[in-house]
Amino acid sequence: MSATEAPDLRELRGPAAASAHRVGAVARRHWLVLRRSPHRIFDVLVWPVVDTLLYGSIGLFAAKAAGGGTGAGGGSAELGTAPTLAVFLLSGTVLWHLVHQTQISLATGFLEETWSRNVIGLLTTPLRGWEYLAGVGLFALVRTALSTLAVASLAFAAYAFDVTTLGLGLIPVAALLLLCGWAVALAVVGLVLRYGSGAEALVWGGLSVVMPLSGVFYPVSTLPAPLRPVAEALPTTHVFAAGRALTGDGPTPWHELAVATLGTAALLVLALFFLGRMLASFRRRGLVTRYS
Amino acid sequence: MTAPPPVLEAHGLVKEYRRGRVVDGVRLVVREGERVGLLGPNGAGKTTTLLMCLGAVEPDAGSVHVLGHRVPAGRSAAMRGVGFAAGYLPLPDRLRVREYLRLYADLYGLRAPRAAVENALEHFGIGHLASAIGTELSSGQRTLVGIAKASLHTPRLLVLDEPTAALDPDIALRVRTGLLDLCARHGTALLVTSHDMVEVERLCERVVFLAAGRVTADGTPEEVARQYAQQDLEGVFLHLAEERDRERAGRDREGAGAV
Repeated sequence: MSATEAPDLRELRGPAAASAHRVGAVARRHWLVLRRSPHRIFDVLVWPVVDTLLYGSIGLFAAKAAGGGTGAGGGSAELGTAPTLAVFLLSGTVLWHLVHQTQISLATGFLEETWSRNVIGLLTTPLRGWEYLAGVGLFALVRTALSTLAVASLAFAAYAFDVTTLGLGLIPVAALLLLCGWAVALAVVGLVLRYGSGAEALVWGGLSVVMPLSGVFYPVSTLPAPLRPVAEALPTTHVFAAGRALTGDGPTPWHELAVATLGTAALLVLALFFLGRMLASFRRRGLVTRYS
Repeated sequence: MTAPPPVLEAHGLVKEYRRGRVVDGVRLVVREGERVGLLGPNGAGKTTTLLMCLGAVEPDAGSVHVLGHRVPAGRSAAMRGVGFAAGYLPLPDRLRVREYLRLYADLYGLRAPRAAVENALEHFGIGHLASAIGTELSSGQRTLVGIAKASLHTPRLLVLDEPTAALDPDIALRVRTGLLDLCARHGTALLVTSHDMVEVERLCERVVFLAAGRVTADGTPEEVARQYAQQDLEGVFLHLAEERDRERAGRDREGAGAV
């Protein structure tokens, strides 16, 4: 043992700078884990690419069968035409991956702490809950960007579908989808905190329930009548409706965006409240010992 | 002479799980620079007590103050001056040792994290492990890295749960020397649980024995051994473990009789 500590090594940053560095440290930790986990490539790149090939080809097949051209990019947004179906499928695929990737990135980020039994370690540092979430959220943003870039590039290269033709309206739609993904992930993290590994399957499967009800690839008017009110209550339904409206030549769908914004805000508040309750239960029941 | 101020004060701690009450009115005070051993047989409530003191588990009753902050409410502020390591915790398996230490240096809020990491690697003689991934380390090496992590920010209170459980005698000696040096030079208080009574006698100046969730003895190792009419702490430990087994057997007999 040597004794070479310099006194300034004990010095701590101010509260704001320390918070910012904690957020960055969490994000960097998860980035390093991703880089060293080849199997995660399936979540980030392989499945999104497979989805794009699947839905893009179905759309193109439908377009060809109806004699509506060979590419998706030129289709009109009028409901019922084959090129529109191709556009709906491809825009739905790109937008779906925003919400899906955000959700699994954030949720698997937390799962990583449970798998590596790092939960007690984190709880015994000054790291606050919101700093942790912000750090994993930042990582999720980068991961989602990579995945969405892959999907959008393939859609353009293989099916001539240019996502940027959706225009500036794409920005609020994308932001709302990211927030929806966050909200679902927070609820899933809450369930994992409370119920442990039994709830892990929800990380990958939870959104599968939301997908058909949200009208990702079709208007919810095509759903069976009893399910339509449920679909209308989901903020994701209104975000995807706004996204679909952007594929046409009509005006920006402000009404859908406003409803989607309110719904997303409500969903986030509910998810945060739920997570807070689950964390309190986690502490009260001493569930941290699962990871000791 | 005035006693140094407490860095940890826990009063009337109670924790009950479905299987019963695991901590029952524990009072634990650790003062600045003090080296305290929290001892007791398996199931005595040591780890639950530690986790309540660290704000990771909420007590059903009682209060905990760490460095003047009430926990769990003030956990974040309190943990700026606390380090924790446990011999049973692995290292994250996809991080190199240097990256792992850097992560924690940032989480503690250190202004010079890189220098603190290099210092810790050198201080505990683990510089050669800096580029290793967590899964490549032996249990003893993992323990050393864990203790280096816990002391990165030169905490005012260092809490160690079974730190030397998996260590060879020579590594245990390095750990002990490093901890004593840290305490002597920076006035760091130490709260440690261990099943190695010889280790505790070498490291701690005061011991608190728990049995069935209650404090049964609190004093210097010699005082506690005298209280139980034993020669050393190992004798006290064996005595308490026998008592626990007798109580369990009695409860089992009562249960069988009731059926």
